[in-house]
Order: sequence, then C-alpha cells, then structure tokens
Amino acid sequence: MSDKPGESRVPVDTWKEFDQTTVSHSAGHHLMAIGDLVGRLGYARVSDVARQLNITRGSVSISLQPLKKAGLIVQDENRHLRLSEQGQALVAALRTKRHLMQRLLAEVLGVAPEQAEIDACKLEHLLSNETAHRVLSFLRFLDTDAGRRRELVDAWRATEAGCERMPEQCPSCDVRCLAETIHDSPKQGRST
Amino acid sequence: MTSLSKADLVQELNRLFAEEVEAALRYLHLSHAVRGINHLLVGPLLKRGFQETIEHAEVIAHKIRELGAVPRLDVNLSLQPQALDAKEVLELALTFEEAALEAYQDTLRRVEGDIPLEEFIRSQIVVESEHVAELKQLLVE
Repeated sequence: MSDKPGESRVPVDTWKEFDQTTVSHSAGHHLMAIGDLVGRLGYARVSDVARQLNITRGSVSISLQPLKKAGLIVQDENRHLRLSEQGQALVAALRTKRHLMQRLLAEVLGVAPEQAEIDACKLEHLLSNETAHRVLSFLRFLDTDAGRRRELVDAWRATEAGCERMPEQCPSCDVRCLAETIHDSPKQGRST
Repeated sequence: MTSLSKADLVQELNRLFAEEVEAALRYLHLSHAVRGINHLLVGPLLKRGFQETIEHAEVIAHKIRELGAVPRLDVNLSLQPQALDAKEVLELALTFEEAALEAYQDTLRRVEGDIPLEEFIRSQIVVESEHVAELKQLLVE
C-alpha cells in the first residue's frame, strides 16, 4: 500500500484548484447547452439555454459574461450564441471526459448506469487531460480483447465477495476498514 | 386565444416569477456589494430596483393565483462576497434587466391572443424597458 488512509500525497492547496479549472461545472454545462442547441436548432439564444438548463435568463446572461470575455462563446448581432473554436474544443474535451468516465464506472467498475452518468457529469470538468488519457488507454486495452476484458473484470469482481471487513488481513486497508468509512453519516458501529 | 394550455401559461408565469425574484435578490446583494463613495451614488437606485422587482414578482404571483395555481419558484443562486464599483454594479444590473425584458418579450409571443395576459405582459415590457434605458443612460453618462 502506498499511502495510509488520510495521508495524502496531494499538495495541501489542490482542493482550491477545483474553482480555478478552465471552466466551472456550471460554465461547462452552459457551453455544452449552447453546443447542443446549435447542433439541434442551428442557433442558441439565451432563452433557449435557460429553458434547456431550467434556470432563469438572468442567471444565464450573468454566467455567459465571463465566457464571452474568455473568448469561449460569441454572440452575433441577432443575439444568437455560438461556441468559438476554443469553446468547441473545450466542449469536445468535456464530452470525451464524461464519456470515458461513464464507461469506466459503468462497464468496468459495475456502477449502475444512472449513478455512473451522475458521477461522470460531476467529474468531467475536474479530470486532468493526463488522467483522461490514462483512462482512454485502459479502456482501449480492454476493448482490444473481449476475452481478456471479461477475464480481468470477472477476476476482480470475484474478490468483492471475499471482503470480510477485517483490515488486519486486508492488503488494501491499514488500521481501519476503508469500506466501512465510505458513507455519508456516522455509523452506529460495525455490524456483525 | 392563445394556443397555450393553462398549465403552459402557469409555467410561463412561473418562469417570469423566478426571473423577478432572482433579480430582486441580485439587487439586494449588489446594494451591499458596492463600496465607499459608490454606495452613496448607486445605493438608492439599487434599493429601488430591489423594491420594484419584488413588487413585479408579487404581481406575477397574483396572476398565477388568478389562474387557479400556486406559484412555483425555482431559483438557483450563489452570489460571491466580492466588492464592486459603481460601473460593475450597473453593468450587472443591466445584464439581468435586459434578460428580464427579453423574458417578457418571449412570453408575449407565446401568450398572443390572450388579451388580458397580453396587456399585462405589455405593461411589464414598458416598465422593464424603462429600467434598461435608465441603466444604459447611467453607464453612458
């Protein structure tokens, strides 16, 4: 095991970078909505984006200001919106990252498709390009040989049943059972 | 008569209700985000904006009640604690006031044929147009 739980190698300030990624989660959805609408209708107005995202026009207009300043979207004289070349590249990267994470979570890890979609949506704008390339490389490895893929995934899933929540005998846990720490609220105690 | 069903009309009005409530909250926040001497200059305008938009929201809520429905409010707002100067504040106010004006214009096209509602929306467009014109004038001067 490389690290003890809670002893992260990640620099202390990394969490702050979540707010400094090229686009925020919200901005990513605005850009993707514009891309979708232009693809579907041939144009995108603020009202269309507001309806698609189910938010107010005021909110869309305010959110679009920094995206216009950053050169990611362009508004013509008819107030129609479109993605700039840079905006299109960003949307393509976000869609690819979402697709890769969705596949990894659902097809490989066995997360339910709906949950995989939700989690992929949350991760798409936070994932680095380096990690996305590694995920793509791993999926390509699995895709090249269906038999190997089945063998690998089956072998891994077979170990799930073997977890007896005994950290002292577990190669992945340290003092605590990691599986028991994954929950949203304090547990009353270990169920036996 | 408009081709919109009553449920669609209520949905249209709910959208306008959310626009107005959100604009009111933005005005309230902006009135406290603008600092120093700027606060003396644009503070009263922002307070008035807050009061007027809340009144508009009430009028729309009343219209929704007249249609026999209960207003639905979907507002998703997170406003940052960032100090702003007068110009920035006016530009932001202009952005969401223009959006509100366009929302009314959009709704007008949809409710065409429902004369009382059309007239109501037209009167709102007049008021919103005045707000937009006032803000534009302040930004030019």
